[in-house]
Amino acid sequence: MAAARCWRLVLRGPGLSLHTAAGAAVTAPEVTGPDVAAAPVARYPPLVASLTADSKAARQRRVERWQATVHAAKSVDEKLRILTKMQFMKYVVYPQTFALNADRWYQSFTKTVFLSGLPPPPPPAKPDTEPAPALDVAALRAAACDCLLQEHFFLRRKKRVPLYLEREAIASPFLDQLVASLTGLLSARNPALAAAALDCKRPVHFYWLRGEEIIPRGHRKGRVDALRYQINDKPHNQIRISKQLPEFVPLDYSVPVEVPVMNCKPDKLPLFKRQYENTIFIGTKTADPHCYGHTQFHLLPDKLKRERLLKQNCANQIEVVFRANAIASLFAWTGAQAMYQGFWSEADVTRPFVSQGVITDGKYFSFFCYQLNTLALTAQADQNNPRKNICWGTQTTIYAMKWMEKRSNKNPRVRSKSSENEMPDVEYCHVRNKVNSSKKNTGNQFCPSPALQSLHERTSLGHDVDERYTYGLESANDGILLKNLPLQA
Amino acid sequence: MALASGSARLALARPRRLGLGSCGAPRRGAYEWGVRSTRKPEPPPPDRVYEIPGLEPITYAGKMHFMPGLARPVFPPWDPGWTPPKFRRLPPLHEHPLYKDQACYVFHQRCRLLEGVKQALWLTKTKLIEGLPEKVLSLADDPRNHIENQDECVLNVIFHARLWHSTEDIPKRETYCPVIVDSLIQLCKSQILKHPSLARRICAQNNMLSTTWNRGSTLIQVHGSSGAQLNAKDPLPPIASREEVEATKNHVLETFYPISPTVGLQECNVYDVNDDTGFREGYPYPYPHTLYLLESANLRPHRFQPDQLRAKMILFAFGNALAQARLLYGNDTKVLEQPVVVQSVGTDGRVFQFLVLQLNTTDLASDEGVKNLVWLDSDQLLYAHFWCLPVVRRKAVVKQKIYSGKPKCVCEMRNRNCLLECPRIFEVRQCPPNPSSPTLHRRLTYPGKEGRLLKQHKPKSCPAPGTKILPNQLPGIL
Repeated sequence: MAAARCWRLVLRGPGLSLHTAAGAAVTAPEVTGPDVAAAPVARYPPLVASLTADSKAARQRRVERWQATVHAAKSVDEKLRILTKMQFMKYVVYPQTFALNADRWYQSFTKTVFLSGLPPPPPPAKPDTEPAPALDVAALRAAACDCLLQEHFFLRRKKRVPLYLEREAIASPFLDQLVASLTGLLSARNPALAAAALDCKRPVHFYWLRGEEIIPRGHRKGRVDALRYQINDKPHNQIRISKQLPEFVPLDYSVPVEVPVMNCKPDKLPLFKRQYENTIFIGTKTADPHCYGHTQFHLLPDKLKRERLLKQNCANQIEVVFRANAIASLFAWTGAQAMYQGFWSEADVTRPFVSQGVITDGKYFSFFCYQLNTLALTAQADQNNPRKNICWGTQTTIYAMKWMEKRSNKNPRVRSKSSENEMPDVEYCHVRNKVNSSKKNTGNQFCPSPALQSLHERTSLGHDVDERYTYGLESANDGILLKNLPLQA
Repeated sequence: MALASGSARLALARPRRLGLGSCGAPRRGAYEWGVRSTRKPEPPPPDRVYEIPGLEPITYAGKMHFMPGLARPVFPPWDPGWTPPKFRRLPPLHEHPLYKDQACYVFHQRCRLLEGVKQALWLTKTKLIEGLPEKVLSLADDPRNHIENQDECVLNVIFHARLWHSTEDIPKRETYCPVIVDSLIQLCKSQILKHPSLARRICAQNNMLSTTWNRGSTLIQVHGSSGAQLNAKDPLPPIASREEVEATKNHVLETFYPISPTVGLQECNVYDVNDDTGFREGYPYPYPHTLYLLESANLRPHRFQPDQLRAKMILFAFGNALAQARLLYGNDTKVLEQPVVVQSVGTDGRVFQFLVLQLNTTDLASDEGVKNLVWLDSDQLLYAHFWCLPVVRRKAVVKQKIYSGKPKCVCEMRNRNCLLECPRIFEVRQCPPNPSSPTLHRRLTYPGKEGRLLKQHKPKSCPAPGTKILPNQLPGIL
């Protein structure tokens, strides 16, 4: 019966496209053996749902057709265009936010697990590779101190900088200088850093879908709609390289910690919806060869400074501010990097994307590492997705000078001329030169602790540690020491 | 009250003080500003008891509230002791502590000198030498100093600055000019392995420079910040030898009578004569190395002309050198044993000017004697043009009918060939390629059709200014 029907169809409409495949199949039964075995010939046209019906199956088919156009896009620009061209209302996520417990919310939006501390160190190098030159900690520290002193003390500006402009007039150029000098000094050990591109206040954008909601009101009331998010970030500095950073942990590494699940709508954060251009941008366009990220540097605004949070009785939110900024910014950056390589939620990443971040408010620094393991955050793609993104982070640590604390302790209203003109403590100036030679802890803040001495001994054993690590700054109880952080090269 | 007419109502509302003269009250018929409903009501007249001399009025001031029957107290005017910044008026210039009778001509970063480089040379008693000195050029020509894949890196820098670094289709000059300079400096810094002295430098911005010198009887000052400045721990070695320095004694400075040498400078009477390098004592990077002057305004009238930019570079480099020399060798005017060298780079994102200034003498009052030296490399194009977007083709019909089947624009031929010659963009182009040059003619000839040339294409008839026909819909760089 079916065969008869087929024959009749063929006789009736030789030109109909739907049937020519069946006709060809029926009229060529004597196909050679291997062909028949290789591809079983379809006897009927595929039974698919309608394209235009008002049904879930039809909607699913339309979605799949759209996804097929994305898969079939020839270039990354075209792919991004198809993914971002339709504008709908979306939540605008601000990395630097005053919202309480924003870091847990952002973890749920980005499917990120937060681990305190830094990622595990990489395995030691093979013995046949030549050992990298030893890290000159004193030179790095001296360069950082020079940047700090230049902006805070030595540079004579036109007018005395008022308190509300201190951050953008002093902390911002200090961070610029710090990044430039440390990159320059460390590029001697790391050729990738030497060839890196340094961006200053370039935007980073990312657009993604996560989760679903029932539309509460409007002409589409009652229907299921995906939740869309957009991050428009402006890191103070970022370093981009042409080769990807190696992963911290394998792609399918299962973290025992769970991603926080928030039971409320994101509006409770507070998070607001807006409709505007959906952009995905890492700091340059897709044609740039430096399309992988290395490190981002963020400067927190005055609205989120420590003193203000303490005055508002939000002492526990100080760390939250840093963490939320790191998670959101680094997720946006790594996600955008992955999308520049052609991955998206239905074509999940095949290798982890890794970036680092340093968040500061001019005085306190925090260091973060982020590994993007999955971009499949939509409801459809996340059904059987065991992968999670991982963010490692340190506590905020102080990098300050004795005289800076003395200055800030004075009444900010009464800023006498004498406080400006006094030189930083003489012992500071000289200690800078003797930082490695002084062994006892005399109460000044630049004496290396025993931990640092042992660290030096460890690194001088010729571990691969030297080649793949760069240094951050951390305080200890007895002063400032430079800790070995696995910020990878 | 309601029955009173308009003028009568005004008269009732504003009772005039009749019989006491016009002191204190506006004259009859004077206009009073302010909407009537919001105008402050006039204060009530003082009690009659104050007019009786010798009588002490009993007021309700002590009671702190109104009491009928007691006189209204009259308080002395209150001096708050502090004016908000909005209402503060500057004291007259004569009372300023830094006021001086002799006028000083100040050069700041927005001064445009009328005579440009000539005027700057006269003001700083300098001799001009075209082209950078041999020492500097040899550094650039030395292949050991070249960065690997230098051409590719610089092309990437140009593309990044002009096209890639922003989400806009065509980034503006205000963003791409600093990006291109920062990227080129970063490229130079990548050679830190070969040249460890690169680590002994630091960049500073917004430092206030101030130096004053006498030029004849006029007092000239350079004041202000020049933008980004690179400071080094070690001074730059002198470029010209003692003999060359002595030879400048014979050079005569070019004057430009009847134009006064102080035209374009700001004349002011309130100034501080003390020198200021912009940094305090004890700064670990005391020697100024290079100044970077960017002209990054979007509109052309807001940007300096190349000549004015070169003059500004000379003056700021000179100011830095003079302040440094006075710091090192004291304020006496003399010929320096160790000349001070400062470099400068000025750009608008496409055209670069390079300058090396050597300060040989601080004796600037007279026109004779040893002069300072400046080596100037002007108008170096990093690239001739950059088109960000492919343009909708507007076909220009070519003269010969043979080619009418596929009408094409001569620009396309030129550009296609020039795209193949990309590495040549770094050669100096002092002027746009001459359309009538023989090389262009040869390029335009089709193979096999010797003697037949495509029509000379004048730039005017090109499709829309700023636009260009591209063969492959790619952004083009020429």
